[in-house]
This record gives sequence, structure tokens and C-alpha cells, in this order.
Amino acid sequence: MEKLRSADYKAPGGKLVRVRLREEQGQIRSVKITGDFFLIPEESLGKLEKMLEDAPLREAELRLLVDRFFRGTGAQGLGVSSDDFVKAILLAREG
Amino acid sequence: METWRLIDLEYRDNPFMNLAVEEAIPRVVGEGKAPSTVRFWHNSNTIVIGCFQSARLEVNMEACKETGTEIVRRFTGGGAVYHDIGNLNYAISLPKGHRLVPDQNLQSVFRKLSEGAVEGLRELGVRAEFQPVNDIQVEGKKVSGAAGSIRWNSVFHHGCILVGSDLSILGKVLNVPRAKLEDRHVASVQKRVTTVGNELGREVSTREVQEAIVDGIENCYGVKVESGVLMKEEVGLAEELYQTKYSRLEWNLEP
Repeated sequence: MEKLRSADYKAPGGKLVRVRLREEQGQIRSVKITGDFFLIPEESLGKLEKMLEDAPLREAELRLLVDRFFRGTGAQGLGVSSDDFVKAILLAREG
Repeated sequence: METWRLIDLEYRDNPFMNLAVEEAIPRVVGEGKAPSTVRFWHNSNTIVIGCFQSARLEVNMEACKETGTEIVRRFTGGGAVYHDIGNLNYAISLPKGHRLVPDQNLQSVFRKLSEGAVEGLRELGVRAEFQPVNDIQVEGKKVSGAAGSIRWNSVFHHGCILVGSDLSILGKVLNVPRAKLEDRHVASVQKRVTTVGNELGREVSTREVQEAIVDGIENCYGVKVESGVLMKEEVGLAEELYQTKYSRLEWNLEP
């Protein structure tokens, strides 16, 4: 059964990463990441959300995916890191 | 000496057009068709949200209706800010690779391009300091927030300075999530911010702050700031961005 999960995660430095996701049997069906962080190029956030679709809600896999996103796109985060995105998504698993 | 163009163009009662002009300038500067630019402008009461924010989560829609506050999304990241005519906005657009910001690091851009505003505020007697990631603070209270981007072959930095804003409305129209307030030992957004007027204990006009910031920019960056007007490319692009993006609910309120 599909469940809606959400979390507001405060990154070191104070920026907020807000995750709203649909989960089914331990997998992400879709995810929306919002917040007051900086990420350039700005359009890359949509790519990250797309990459996370159908990913298992497990730390190791999420970490690999988010790291691959940063390496692959050359995106630069400010106030948010790869680790923060992973932690915010994992926090949503609980919420 | 390098000359920067000063643009004083604003649409106080049309925040959507204000943001369209805001985007048009760095795009055309990046094309090499306009010079390095600093723009000053105001909005009547408006919430400007960051490009990654959810309007639904960040904004108290009911309070906006009651107070006649507009909501517009900007093209840069960062957090929601409340604008009124006591709030002075400044924006710096430079071509990519400019000597002041040679690397492509956004934190360096914020630090360097906040210096002019910090210097201007200090000249007025405000003990302003840059506070990473993107704030200017006075003894722990925020007086200005900045945002920016490196795109379109340009480096862009903009900030809003609370000169004499109505902080009571600010507290009503913005939802500040509980997680955001943790660790700060304060209960509301209103207590975390200050205004130039509060700090100096007198009424201060945004014009006075603008002039001080122009001086700060000239001194800090070794440039001359001279009044100018938008190029026809910028006017055309601003019109287009207004029609296709900033006047649209899909851009401003979704997700």
C-alpha cells in the first residue's frame, strides 16, 4: 500500500530540506524536495527527484544515487550537501 | 576605472514585473550586451520565495489575503523574504569570470558581493557583518539576506535590506517551520531580524541606504557607479519573462 511520508530536515548551517514522498513497499514512487538551500544549476533538482524514483528507501542505495547525481551533473550545493539530501529522505521514512 | 551601470527601475506595485526585470538583466549582461550592473528596487508588500520553496508550506495564504500581500517566486534559491516599501532590494550582475568573483563558488560570490552592502551599512553606523551562508547580521540579528546564482554566463547576487519594514506583518505572512527555529533560542522570525531604522534609533529612508551602498560598492570594488537605463534587449526580455513566467500562478505557487 502506498504511503505519504514527509520530513523537515535542518542541515548544519541552518538550511531546511523538506521532503514529501510517496512510498510503496520500501521504495520511493515519487519525491518532491523543497527548501531554502542553494543548488546550481537550479534545474538540476528535478533531475535528482527523477533519479530517486523507484529507489529503495535504504541509506546505502540513496547515498550512491545522490553522490552519482552530484558527480554526474557537477551541481554545486550551498547550505545543503549530498549527505543532507540523504538524511532528509531517510528522516521522511520515519515520518 | 571600471564603470558599473546603476539601474533605478522598479515596479513597486507589480512584483512580478520587478522579478522579470531582475532576471532579464543578468541574462543580457551574460550575453555581453549590457555592462556590469547594480540595480535598486522596492516592492509593495510581497512575499518573495526561493526557487526551491513550496509556497504552500512557506506562506500563510490566509494572512496574505488579509494583508493584500502578493506572492512571487524568484529564480534564485534561498528562503522566503517579506518585502514592503521599507525594504531595499539591490542586485549585482557581472559577466562570468569577472575579476571580483573569478572562481565559480557560490559561497565566495555571496561573501564578496555582500561586501559593498556591508560597507555601506557600516558607513551609516550599523555594525553589520557578513554571516555565512547568505546573511548580513547585526549582533546576531539578520538585517539582510542574499541569494544568487552563476548561470547564463553571468554571476548574479541580490539581497534585500530591512530598512524600515513592518516586522509585525512579516511574522504573520511567513510560516516559519519549527525545525528552522530550533537551536536559535528564539520563538519567532520577528525576533531574529532587525531593521536599519531599529539599529540607528531613527527613521532612515531607503534612498539614504541606497546612496551608502553605492559608496560602499565604489570603495570596496574600485569601480565607478553611473546612472543608466535598460538596453532594449533587456526591456524585451523582461516583457517576455513577465508574460511567460512571472505573471503565472504555475511559476509562483507550484509546487
